[in-house]
Amino acid sequence: MFLAWNEMKNNKLRFTLIVGVLLLVSYLVFLLSGLANGLEDMNKAAVDKWEAQGVILTEESDVNLPQSSLSLEDYDGEGADEFASLAQISSIATSGDNKSNVALFGIHADEFIMPDITEGETFQNDNEVVADASLKEEGFELGDELQLASTEEKLTIVGFTDNAKFIAAPVLYTDLQTVHKVRYGEAAEMYKEQINAFVIRTDDLSNVDVKEALEVVDTTTFIENLPGYSEQKLTLNFMIYFLFVISAVVLAIFLYVLTIQKISIFGVMKAQGISSKYLANSVIAQTFLLAAAGVVLGFLLTMVTGFFLPDIVPIAFNYLDLLLYGIVLVFVSVLGALFSIQTIVKIDPLKAIGG
Amino acid sequence: MAVLEMKQVRKIFGSGHTEVEALKPTDFSSQQGELIAVIGPSGSGKSTFLTIAGGLQTPTSGQVFMNGTDITKLKEKQRSAIRLKEIGFVLQSSNLVPFLNVKQQMRLLDKVKKHNLPSEKLQELYQTLGIHKLLNSFPSDLSGGEKQRVAIAKALYTDPSIILADEPTASLDSDRAFEVMEMLQEITTKSNKTTIVVTHDTRLIDYCDKVYQITDGRLALQTEQAQS
Repeated sequence: MFLAWNEMKNNKLRFTLIVGVLLLVSYLVFLLSGLANGLEDMNKAAVDKWEAQGVILTEESDVNLPQSSLSLEDYDGEGADEFASLAQISSIATSGDNKSNVALFGIHADEFIMPDITEGETFQNDNEVVADASLKEEGFELGDELQLASTEEKLTIVGFTDNAKFIAAPVLYTDLQTVHKVRYGEAAEMYKEQINAFVIRTDDLSNVDVKEALEVVDTTTFIENLPGYSEQKLTLNFMIYFLFVISAVVLAIFLYVLTIQKISIFGVMKAQGISSKYLANSVIAQTFLLAAAGVVLGFLLTMVTGFFLPDIVPIAFNYLDLLLYGIVLVFVSVLGALFSIQTIVKIDPLKAIGG
Repeated sequence: MAVLEMKQVRKIFGSGHTEVEALKPTDFSSQQGELIAVIGPSGSGKSTFLTIAGGLQTPTSGQVFMNGTDITKLKEKQRSAIRLKEIGFVLQSSNLVPFLNVKQQMRLLDKVKKHNLPSEKLQELYQTLGIHKLLNSFPSDLSGGEKQRVAIAKALYTDPSIILADEPTASLDSDRAFEVMEMLQEITTKSNKTTIVVTHDTRLIDYCDKVYQITDGRLALQTEQAQS
């Protein structure tokens, strides 16, 4: 540490540049991680809110909620601690100049997927909805009358709830009848038993007994099959993983060049009897300090950026993930230093002193 | 007991038609308090002699004893430990770490070896070498002579039994070169060290107790002055 620290103190510009590169890499990793989380939340926040372990869908739906069509009579709660009915359609809601994609969730207000109300009240009558609070940022207010695309039905916002997005669209919670009216128009009465899924809470999904042609899907699988969810997640995660490799390679190159520049002085030190182990430890300590400084500064810059980003940017930081990514960045950076250590071990002190 | 003793040490580089005998079978012995010069032209085998004596390379055949230990039988790691404990190197080019000031050069040695010179002795050494006012200076701030004096301080700080100096005056003007040799002479006598100076500068031999000439890898005692 003594050599590492003093070298950095006396070559501030050089090492500041290295820390700067690591800062930028970690900043990008942290921002991507925040974006990945934010996008995940946008897709599944409403599902997380259920705190459910499984979903019952038709087998032919291929775990696609809108494609699943079943009847309220199809499941009686066997094997589940609790269950809730869900009818879902997607639409576009307009109120004056405000327009937004929405996911309409038809539910029974007395079942567990009814969300907590953060403002206003719960829906009591047909055509009343509790909306995700993000709609407020788009200009929607309590009491607004919503015109939905492709239907004559008008809905009224009577309450707001938070963190209720489904496939990036704010959720409107309402009763089943309203969803049927929106979906089937005048034929709603004929389809009043029709829903898309049952959401279930249970300790053991294998105990849930369903009719033929239905399947029980655990919540994780259900989320992973949301349209575009896995692809989006994989893409961002790949970017993060590549950044780990890039940071290791960048730091390895920097340290290797620095080591090459110091071959003669390392050689002289080895001639004097200073062991390769001491010199290698010094390089590792230096790499650790540089990487840790870059990661900490990258984290701080990420937090500042997060603070100033507009709410429309889907960013959500999971601090445990950030800690893990930070540790991985430091670790891969130290791995990158191994090239330099190999060089140090191979330095022949004889050549260094011109023998 | 000889501090450094070589018995029939021979060094061959290459093989077949590229074979070069850099050091012909050599016997050499040095005692405490001796300042020895090994002189010879470039390519004569001086550096080979010095690096074998310093445990930086092993001979093709023969034995090198350092305070009674045959270092030719040791592994590099063990030889490295012996170098740190027993040998102080003063090299042709400065052997100072560029990003450490004079004080830190010594502290680096504290980090890798215990039982170096006590503080008061070190201060005395600084005074003797005239570098006591340069303790916070970095190598880039020092003149050639100052660097060499700091290098000598560094070589002596670990309290080695042997000082090996490779062209220690090469980068110095005559006055500075004589000054450095006077210091080496004083330290060798006062501290009872063995100092071996490898040089092609024959002006320095007046300071030495023994002078060896090396020509085409053959080492021969040229002059031996009576101890004063």
